[in-house]
Amino acid sequence: MLNNYKAAYTNKNIHFVFVNYEGIIQESDQLFIDFKIGDSILNAHPFFECLPSLKEVSEEEITFNCVHLNIADKDYNCDIKIASKKEGVLIVITDLTEHYAEYQKIAQSRNESIINNELIVLKNSELEERERFKNSFIQNFSHELRNPLTSIISITNIIGDTQLTNEQRRMLDFLKESNNNLKLMLEDILSISMINSGKLQLESKYFNFPQLLELLKFTYQTRAENKGLDFTITSDVKIPEFLEGDRLRLFQVLTNLLDNAFKYTLNGSISLNISLNQKRANKISLHFAISDSGIGIAKKDLPFIFISFNQLETIEKHNGTGLGLAIVKGMLEQMESNIKVQSKLDKGTVFSFDLGLKFPIHPITDLPSNSNTKAYKLKEEGGKYKILLVEDDARLQTTLFKSLIDTEYFYIDLISDGAKVMEEVVNDTYDMILMDVNLPNLNGDQITKTIREFPFKNIKKIPIIGLTANAFETNINSYLKIGMNAVLSKPFDQENLLETMFKFLK
Amino acid sequence: MQISKKIVVLGHFGVGKTSLIKRFVDDSFTDNYKVSIGVHITKKVVEIAADSMSLILWDLEGTDDIETIRNAYLLGTHGVIFVFDVTRPSTFQNLNSDLEIIKKKLPNIPFLTIGNKTDLVVLDELKQLLEHNTISTDFLTSAKTGDTVNNAFLKLAKLLNANAK
Repeated sequence: MLNNYKAAYTNKNIHFVFVNYEGIIQESDQLFIDFKIGDSILNAHPFFECLPSLKEVSEEEITFNCVHLNIADKDYNCDIKIASKKEGVLIVITDLTEHYAEYQKIAQSRNESIINNELIVLKNSELEERERFKNSFIQNFSHELRNPLTSIISITNIIGDTQLTNEQRRMLDFLKESNNNLKLMLEDILSISMINSGKLQLESKYFNFPQLLELLKFTYQTRAENKGLDFTITSDVKIPEFLEGDRLRLFQVLTNLLDNAFKYTLNGSISLNISLNQKRANKISLHFAISDSGIGIAKKDLPFIFISFNQLETIEKHNGTGLGLAIVKGMLEQMESNIKVQSKLDKGTVFSFDLGLKFPIHPITDLPSNSNTKAYKLKEEGGKYKILLVEDDARLQTTLFKSLIDTEYFYIDLISDGAKVMEEVVNDTYDMILMDVNLPNLNGDQITKTIREFPFKNIKKIPIIGLTANAFETNINSYLKIGMNAVLSKPFDQENLLETMFKFLK
Repeated sequence: MQISKKIVVLGHFGVGKTSLIKRFVDDSFTDNYKVSIGVHITKKVVEIAADSMSLILWDLEGTDDIETIRNAYLLGTHGVIFVFDVTRPSTFQNLNSDLEIIKKKLPNIPFLTIGNKTDLVVLDELKQLLEHNTISTDFLTSAKTGDTVNNAFLKLAKLLNANAK
């Protein structure tokens, strides 16, 4: 009777089997596995084939945890204890299937999570590596384009000063426009690679805000009229006249957004509205909104519009590099702002952002003038200026030489080897050196350093204008720090060059 | 006469040990990753130089710390296969020290290293990567496509057979 009651309290998960040293089953309590007395346990499951080899093991009892057994089409996860006895081997099988199933679930989720994290890290580092490669490729590529583009712009200007037929003049205008587009694209490409590589540096200077808006109006009004669009700029009257920030970058953000609006708006209107969020002490927050009644952006495309080189598939093929919005996003992030977009297909799009700037508490009356002086003076004694042009690119050297000589302000000496510059400077008298930075044998920045450290004042003080295709601000700043008076990044036009030269010619 | 040899298959988790055995034993594959816990034991009989050999394959739970493998699982082992995942450097960056630990635990027995999941990588790039990390591997396999799987197991069986003679 007691045995009947005991059965309810006995652990039914523990199965006892006794085999002789040959593995023949002698006894089994048949609790959950049907072992046949007289059969070899080695045939029951491959696990038991380890029994013969265990004879050589010195331990009397060995436990195998979490052994998966499949016997008679039934799966078990068991702990198996094998104990050597005088008459043979006692095998104790504890069925822990449910316990190990729980453990398996935990291990599954832990391992999956570790593997997924690992794969994400790998994927990210692969993407970062690609991004680095892309940026370095873009920088090298834009660098290589700068010299030929400077030559093209210079030659175009030279041709413009010759006798041309009306048809030739019209074609030259196209060429100038194409040069300009190419130059802008190159600047866009450079901007995005500067943003991506963290080399974009912001300036903080006072600027005249209404003048900036006037310039935008002037730039886009004609374009709007040509497309039959309404174009308006409205601005809160409470916004101060002078603001402090990076005017150039703000202008770049607004022109990119307006260019984008003009590109995708075929009829209706485009507007730029600037409202005042708040003004406290010398800080001000402005809200910019650029609205258009253009083709709009599908919801599915919205996540991709700020990605570099991405242009949405539309019926009409649009020109451009697909960099404009990526530049906007990157620049605004640098200015601690975020671009937002709301759009409805066939209704239009609104891009907006809030921007924190400063403003002067005391009124400003005078800012450095941007006006261009088209006519320049000769030397005080009425002679021409003597310029040393150091440039190793033969075509650029020729075009710069021609365009400068044609102005009749200069005598020009040419050198292409960096190592020969000092000899020339010491043996002759120059009013200015135009110095390419990347030169054979000795670089322009090294030559500048030597000149600035030279013991004779007349040599030490020669104005040096650097000419470089390494257009990053960090590079330009380092050249200025070494002692160049100004640095022009290629491509530059003749007016730009003359203006810079005459700033330093006496 | 049929001889029986115990082979333990070990390596980090998620490297495809179970899939390799499944491919070798059943010639099948599933993309669903199910974590193996403890040990799964399967058997395959192969013919090596007119001898019949029963390979008892012990598929051990994956771990990133080889030291923690239960010694009981290794008792009576005749051969070892160490598997790593060619797409996850964490599974092979310590390969040489992992192999040292295994050799210490199981001295004087044949063992092979297998880089698995080659279907997910460009083979030439992988070889460069392994060379760069001074990793030498006996076989590069894909349990998914079956590429080189049989060759790897049969190679170990041949080594075991040669050892037995």
